[in-house]
Amino acid sequence: MRFLGLTYLGAILAFLYLPIAIMMLMAFNQSPLYELPFTFDLVWFKALAGNERLLTAGWNSVWIALVSSAIATSIGTVAALGLARNEFTGKRFLQLMLFPPITIPWLIIGTAMLIFFFWTGVGRGLHAILLGHVALSLPYVIVVVGARLATHGPELEEAAASLGARPAQAFFRVTVPLLAPGIVAAGMFAFAVSFDQFIISYFLAAPGTSTLPVEIFTAIRKGFTPEINAISSIVIIISMSLVLVVSRFYRFGGER
Amino acid sequence: MPGAEKHLRVTFLVAPAYLWLALTVFLPLAVMLFFSFLTAVPVGGREATLTLQHYVSFFTKKIYWYNALRSLELAAYVTLACVVLGYPVAVILTRMITGRAREAIFLMIILPFWTNALVRTFSWTMVLRGPFDIIFTYPAIVIGLVHAYLPYAVLTIYVSLQAIDERLIEAARALGASKRQAFMRVMLPLSLPGVLAGVFLIFIPVTGSFMEPRILGGKDAIMLGPIIESQFTATFNWPLGAALSFMMLAIILLMLALGYPLLQRHMER
Amino acid sequence: MTTISVTSVSKSYGAFRALDDVSIEFRDGEFFGLLGPSGSGKTTLLRAIAGFVTPDRGRIAFDGEEVDRTPVHKRRIGMVFQSYALFPHLSVARNLAFGLEVRGDPKAETERRIEEYLALVRLAGLGGRKPRELSGGQQQRVALARALITGPRVLLLDEPLGALDRKLRQEMQVELRDIQRRTGITTIFVTHDQEEALTLSDRIAIINEGRIVQVGSPQEVYERPVSVFAAQFLGDANLFSGKATTGGLVLADGTMIRVSGQSAGLAVVRPEKVRIGRSAGAELNTLKGVVMQSVYSGASVIYRVAVPVLGETPFLAFVQNSSGELHAPGSEVTLAWDAAHTMAVAP
Repeated sequence: MRFLGLTYLGAILAFLYLPIAIMMLMAFNQSPLYELPFTFDLVWFKALAGNERLLTAGWNSVWIALVSSAIATSIGTVAALGLARNEFTGKRFLQLMLFPPITIPWLIIGTAMLIFFFWTGVGRGLHAILLGHVALSLPYVIVVVGARLATHGPELEEAAASLGARPAQAFFRVTVPLLAPGIVAAGMFAFAVSFDQFIISYFLAAPGTSTLPVEIFTAIRKGFTPEINAISSIVIIISMSLVLVVSRFYRFGGER
Repeated sequence: MPGAEKHLRVTFLVAPAYLWLALTVFLPLAVMLFFSFLTAVPVGGREATLTLQHYVSFFTKKIYWYNALRSLELAAYVTLACVVLGYPVAVILTRMITGRAREAIFLMIILPFWTNALVRTFSWTMVLRGPFDIIFTYPAIVIGLVHAYLPYAVLTIYVSLQAIDERLIEAARALGASKRQAFMRVMLPLSLPGVLAGVFLIFIPVTGSFMEPRILGGKDAIMLGPIIESQFTATFNWPLGAALSFMMLAIILLMLALGYPLLQRHMER
Repeated sequence: MTTISVTSVSKSYGAFRALDDVSIEFRDGEFFGLLGPSGSGKTTLLRAIAGFVTPDRGRIAFDGEEVDRTPVHKRRIGMVFQSYALFPHLSVARNLAFGLEVRGDPKAETERRIEEYLALVRLAGLGGRKPRELSGGQQQRVALARALITGPRVLLLDEPLGALDRKLRQEMQVELRDIQRRTGITTIFVTHDQEEALTLSDRIAIINEGRIVQVGSPQEVYERPVSVFAAQFLGDANLFSGKATTGGLVLADGTMIRVSGQSAGLAVVRPEKVRIGRSAGAELNTLKGVVMQSVYSGASVIYRVAVPVLGETPFLAFVQNSSGELHAPGSEVTLAWDAAHTMAVAP
């Protein structure tokens, strides 16, 4: 029984990693048409270095992810603090408001943003994408930081106050150190959400400048160059590394 | 601390985030709803009048309602496949593997999920093009979507299975239940919340997906998602796109409203 | 040190009255126990004194000075929480140092005091550990030391021994009392455990449903409860109700129960005051009954006696095992006790 189970697990894992493995394999393969035999070659990565378009798009993706995660993490943490330590009418409502951005299909949100920005004159472009990415990351940040706050309850801050700490002192000496892992994890989530975001970026991108996923999409549609493989492999490695680092701070699965 | 002061403090803390959400998500949705009732986009001096024509055309033009059904059908297949494939994975993780190995494998399952969806879908074109050569077909779309959302199912079911006390199963066995009975009568019902959560988390985005159908299904992949998308990128009929978007939202909400009490009743048994 | 006066304090949460016109004086240097069932308001009162709860009405004063407008961090209190609330990211020594650092005490002085208080609670040498590396009892002592090290005006304890097992509890009780006597600090502690309240406190207040039921020394409150609730919550009590007459009350079957003090128709006697014998003298109250159950625990025996006039409720007697004789279930016995031990109580 156990053997059966482990085999099944192995099969599922193989299924999950198969395409990624093949893609990365092909990125290092000399042949431009995925033909075997496999000859190791860095030609596509070199070609990538000369591909202005992809590189600019990649750079855009990175700095947008950095800025949007910084913004989302700061205002999200502050909001989580406001929600966690207080009971007030409307709190339930605010908590429910966090669901739509993550559950409504991004297609719908993306098109809504497109219409609204167009109508209000904000227009399309990197600034619009930034606005959208922050909005998408916020619920994650608020939930992650909120969960961390919930595990401690208000007692530690009360203890600090009973020992004579002014509110600001209690915040910096007690709340922040305790929250730190949660904030870092939230920040990385926000970065990952933004960096990998395609749909919203697609609708809000202005012709000419866009983010990496959008560029890859256009390239796929137009006709294909193996440089896409190369850049895709890089993207996957970055995303996976981020998640691995986050999991050091914020335990998944193992403990409850 | 007097009540008023507390309210002020809370508002101050919560305002930036929620204002941002209101302006970038909720307000745009409201505006799009308004647009869906217009004949054209009211900029550049264009005249626009209120109309129900877009909503009407959803029901009258086959291309729209038929493909909405196709989208739902796709979502149903994908959701079913994810739950059926994912449930055993979650069970194996909780019952057969412990400690660090469990954490590690769990992470391995979740990892692809957190990478770039576009890149992952693209990587499937490699595989499906090459030896299998089933790219640009319906099954290709299904495979791509199941690959993308399977971790969701594993995640939610795993979380609810983990919450089930080992001793409940033992108690059932002690009362004479066979392994199969213990599963059907104890484990399955208690894990339903997780299954339900997974169903919702998968069904909704898949209904609205347009990227995977486009990439894996080629230009023949006509479903509601791609149709809506083309209103904004190809035909520039935004009010129609808006109306179709809200119809999709309405359909999703309808499914939720129907499915939820059904499963809730089942849970209460 | 400090006296604390609570005057006519009330606090409601929506429709629920947590505190209802509560007034108490806490005297300088005393160890005061707030005793009551869950939800009685005792913790609310403690938190109001601390400053976490703002009363709707009434005033609280430390040494005559009103503290209603003083925020928690300025009240100079020391508090031990039920869950200890030790800062998990700080070592034991840094936990102790916290209160001193936030007010800017010089470093050398702080380090000296940390050593002093670690020794006081018998945790010398453990300053470098983190809270999660300590046992429950050790954590409790750290919490205590942390609360005391700043030299607060009053020490507030919220069910501090609740999480400890019996043996540890008893040890801690002794230590707590000891430290309090040595430091002389006014201490208010909250508990639902009556034995704890009795053994530790100089004075007790019984609280129920947001109101003070009775205040006094453990002996006063135990021997002379003022109400049925006080009599039954603290220890056990046999309750009589009947028609009031001079000197006592008359039960339904005509039996006269002599009561100490003026009764309005209700009286109690505690089970340990009752003797079981086949005959008795004339200055005593007596009742006849049949033994329903006897629980033998070596040094004493607990009897449940069915007395007809008392209906379904068994009469409880705790009898010392001085003769080795046991009255078996079914035997007829005469219960007897001093009239002086029969207390009149309010409903």
